[in-house]
Amino acid sequence: MQFHQPKSLEDALRLKRELGTDAYFLAGGTDLVVLRNRGRVKGQHWIDLSRVSELDYLEERDGTLQIGATCPHARLEGTRFTALAEAAASVGGPQIRHRGTVGGNVGNASPAGDVSTALLAFDADIELRSATATRRMKLAEFFLAPGKTAIAPDEIITAIFVPTDVRSAWFKLGKREATAISVVAAACGVNAAGKVHIALASVAPKPLRVTAAEEMLAQKGLTPETARAAGDIVRETIKPITDHRASADYRLDTAGSMVTRLLTQLSLN
Amino acid sequence: MTIQTPAASIQAPAALKPGEAHTAAPTKPASMGASVKRSDARPKVIGETRYGGDMWVPGMLWCSVVRAAHPHANIRGVDTSAAEQIEGVVGVYTGKDVPGTNMHGLIRRDQEVLATTKVRYMGDAVAVVVAKDRRTAEHAVGLVKVDYEVLPGIFSIDDALDPSKPPIHDHGNRMGGQKIRKGDALAALENDCDVIVEHTLETQSVDHAFLDVEAGMAALEDGVLVIHAAGQWVHEEARLVALALGLPLEKIRIIQPPTGGAFGGREDISIQIYLGLAVLKTGKPVGIAYTRHESMVARHKRHPLRIHYRLGAKRDGTIVAAKVEIFADEGAYASTGIAVLRKAASHATGPYRVPHIHVDAHGLYTNQNPTGAMRGFGACQLAIAYEAAIDKLAEAIGMDRVALRRKNLIGAGEMVTTTQRIPVVSIQECLDEAARRIGWDNRDYTVDPAKPWLKKGYGISTFCFGLGYGDGFPDASRAKVRLNDEGLVEVYSGGVEVGQGIHMMCAQVAAEELGVDPTSVQVFLADTGITPEAGSSSATRQTFFTGNAVRLAATELKKVLYDVALRILPVHPEDLAVADSFVYDREEPARRVTFLQLVAEAKSRNLPLEVKSHYQPNTVTAPTETGLSPRVFITYLFGAHACEVLVDTETGQVKPLRIVAVHDVGRAINPQLVEGQIEGGVVQGLGMALMEEVVMKDGQIMNPGFTDYILPTIVDTPPIEAVILEHLDPEGPFGAHGVGEPPLIGTPPAILGAIHDALGLQITRTPATPERVWRALMEAKKQPAKV
Amino acid sequence: MLQDRAREFSGEPSWTVDFTLNGEPKTLALDPSWTLYEVLREQLDLIGTKGACLEGECGSCTVLVDGVSMNACLIMGPQVEGKDVLTVEGLTKQGALSAVQQAFVDCGAVQCGYCTPGLVVAAEALINDLQHPTGEEIRRGLEGNICRCTGYMKIQQAVERACELRAAAK
Repeated sequence: MQFHQPKSLEDALRLKRELGTDAYFLAGGTDLVVLRNRGRVKGQHWIDLSRVSELDYLEERDGTLQIGATCPHARLEGTRFTALAEAAASVGGPQIRHRGTVGGNVGNASPAGDVSTALLAFDADIELRSATATRRMKLAEFFLAPGKTAIAPDEIITAIFVPTDVRSAWFKLGKREATAISVVAAACGVNAAGKVHIALASVAPKPLRVTAAEEMLAQKGLTPETARAAGDIVRETIKPITDHRASADYRLDTAGSMVTRLLTQLSLN
Repeated sequence: MTIQTPAASIQAPAALKPGEAHTAAPTKPASMGASVKRSDARPKVIGETRYGGDMWVPGMLWCSVVRAAHPHANIRGVDTSAAEQIEGVVGVYTGKDVPGTNMHGLIRRDQEVLATTKVRYMGDAVAVVVAKDRRTAEHAVGLVKVDYEVLPGIFSIDDALDPSKPPIHDHGNRMGGQKIRKGDALAALENDCDVIVEHTLETQSVDHAFLDVEAGMAALEDGVLVIHAAGQWVHEEARLVALALGLPLEKIRIIQPPTGGAFGGREDISIQIYLGLAVLKTGKPVGIAYTRHESMVARHKRHPLRIHYRLGAKRDGTIVAAKVEIFADEGAYASTGIAVLRKAASHATGPYRVPHIHVDAHGLYTNQNPTGAMRGFGACQLAIAYEAAIDKLAEAIGMDRVALRRKNLIGAGEMVTTTQRIPVVSIQECLDEAARRIGWDNRDYTVDPAKPWLKKGYGISTFCFGLGYGDGFPDASRAKVRLNDEGLVEVYSGGVEVGQGIHMMCAQVAAEELGVDPTSVQVFLADTGITPEAGSSSATRQTFFTGNAVRLAATELKKVLYDVALRILPVHPEDLAVADSFVYDREEPARRVTFLQLVAEAKSRNLPLEVKSHYQPNTVTAPTETGLSPRVFITYLFGAHACEVLVDTETGQVKPLRIVAVHDVGRAINPQLVEGQIEGGVVQGLGMALMEEVVMKDGQIMNPGFTDYILPTIVDTPPIEAVILEHLDPEGPFGAHGVGEPPLIGTPPAILGAIHDALGLQITRTPATPERVWRALMEAKKQPAKV
Repeated sequence: MLQDRAREFSGEPSWTVDFTLNGEPKTLALDPSWTLYEVLREQLDLIGTKGACLEGECGSCTVLVDGVSMNACLIMGPQVEGKDVLTVEGLTKQGALSAVQQAFVDCGAVQCGYCTPGLVVAAEALINDLQHPTGEEIRRGLEGNICRCTGYMKIQQAVERACELRAAAK
């Protein structure tokens, strides 16, 4: 493995273009280095972003929360964006939250990605940049499959844009009280216009939006009754799998319960 | 391991100066019952302590192990040539390179050190690679080619019971069994019971998950093979190394480095033989360290048991009979499995008075990790089963759970499962204390009204635990206590320190007997070169066995000191006493000599100030066919736990809110350490009750790391009230008997009982994960409630 | 007896980092494919940093980077460039235990001790940030550290005690 440590975003992008698909960006290392420690080194080249300071920021501007790609989870914890703050707080122990980054969580496209799921409930956008171009897309469209995203080989995630007019709630179900990998996690958000977004982790090959339930709520409005109906739609819609962490039917039912619980809470506030 | 005295702080008292006179008797420093601070705490908090994986010497080679690629396969051949060609590889060794007998095993020598003909689980070792460093060795491991003929596997108790499945061992898939036949339970269940409750329980595979993964080093020193590796019984490990390497015992020295936990998980031999083999072959120092993954794949686990329990009683709650059938997944090799099975059987009815008992326990081989020793040793699974049955009985006859227990718990002089009569029984008091502290009579079930999905429950458990190996197995501890040239007491014991604090126990027992400051006592442990054999640090036995051995030696040493003192002091022998490193005249305390003076006197007369002791009480084997014996164990420990939990009925999550753990430890030699044992055992029990589970699929571990093998953290731990009761054990050192295992045993049944209380249904598979609790609720919804 | 000494460096020292280690500025040639955990232990013989899982779950390898707790097993060596790294060895000043270390000794929070350095470092960061953490804050602050022996009660007490010791020293 060859190590590269660019000092600017420009250098990082140049390296990525040169080295291509065999190069991986390294930020907090909470996924890449774990794999490496298990003897599964990804890629021939690692491009370390720890000295690319342009990506390490969190700022609120013009009704948007802008999260730099290497902003660590810990920095989101104290924010007023409930689902995002709680999702960030549930990524792992403090040591992991100080280290793991939002860009890494999103870029890995893990079906169990906590922060990714919370961001979906805000209907966040993602910004991608290559040496020649910058583009922005809906995060929901960015995730394609486990570990697969819409990113091009010469691109980097630069930022996530989060609308600030969203009230949100978060629930993570794991096998212990302390943070652990999620069995199911749910995030719900309601924006100023009343539009509801529902997102789930660990029930599909990627962090998932439950648009059928969202559409029902768009028509009928959010009330405790429709919250319950939304949970039922979740149970009818999602197709989780059984693995060593949980069974499909458990994930299906609890995802529904969680969504109902979160939406009920949001409908009452 | 040497526990060093904090250097400058300890000084033996000086001899009297001319003209100086003492009139008051010297004061005996506090020892017995004092929470003396651990002598090893300081080096541990500053990060100075070197565990097995922290030791290295210049020129040290590295050893890595090639593990099986299939859970059940014949080996056709092993091709090491590609690995040998890697630069930096010194040698690749297979079973045919093992110079002695290529076998090991604690009770039966039934596992090849390096498999030559067959692998029986994924952890079987096939070869070891020795190279210049870890990275080279690990790389070369992947290049060793083993030609396998894959065999169908046995992956469950049902597979093992199926006669059409292939045998794992030549003698088939049944490893052994144990029966208990007390009275006539079958007839009593048929004829004498008003109520019969049944309970089926399946328990899980649990990993010890001590944090200090197997690691160590070895080297030749003056022709002796010195192995620094953590086990639980260095002398037995030396015998196993000698057998495998064909060396005489005096050519092997095993030294236990500071050790990061054990919990039974170091009882089976791990790295010791590989290290010894590598050193013998290369002549160089060699190091080794497993990864967590390798540790989980290679090492033994707690027995998964399937238990069918039938409990019969009179309408008033008087228990009449129990019929218990136990099937144990023993994994691929014997390990200590048969002993665990016997312990399970002998604890089948816990601390209850049960006139008729019928137990059949069956041990079955599977192509999964061998199952052996782990804290609780079969007794903890049975405690879950009998407590669940008692709770069910309480429900069936509409009796309070505490009252029902109180009615059926044994009293002094009554029998446990094996017909052994127990002279000192404090179980009623333990139960009452646990119930009082949890507020049993005023249980509060209110929950946040905004969260109607929450339910509260309370659980209570009582249990007993037979201490030591028992069952007629020779069980001894030897110790040596001496006064060194500085006049300080030294204790030598082969017992291993793995975190529990045996060194403090040794120091405090010796200090109490010899009247010295316990922090001045130097304790030397677990080094086959210098310490006498003490048996294993397991079975909750070291306080009792080594405590007695140390006390015996210290008592004798005191007599020797008196003899020497009498050569100096004109005193009546009966008036002599020790305190504060003086021997003095009780009648006239000014007449005194310091230990240092005694050392000088003894030297001048060539008298050794050193005593060796041997403590070996007997037990009586329980025959396999009846399981009955008047003295299966030396003594029994009693305790009771109570807990309060909150259950989320939609997600199945269980949150313990409070746990009370009451333990009669005989005598708490060091209360702070005893509390630490209780609290630590409770949390391991909590892990077993709610989250820990080695998930197997076709012989492979699906969660071989801490991301998916879920352990309790500080956030998962509710406030624990550790309550120490002291009913002096007539045979224990200063009345102590021990505390290691019971705190784990009491916890799962209390938590599961609380879930039962909250939901009105019982979880029949451990751990009670959110999904299992949810599933139980779903199934209960589907069918009308049973009466 | 065998000597305990640093192992010969077996990597390829193709990368140079400048950083501060336990208060001392340091320039170090290291193998960029090694983690900080490996550099500390195998190259510098700072064996107080332990490792029980190497996947960020146990916290035994906790170090402070610019005062923030992190898992050394997940940091690549070159990533400490310009950083201030503190390991457990850096907490003891001239042989004097820090308040946290003293409290761990006093409260019986040490059994096998393998988790202890990581916990001590994590607790140090915790009470640097929050002078008087609540019980809940202590629990949340230490949830990234597994202890298999103590049952955590005495660890929590030790952190509370450390706050008192610090306050008394002021």
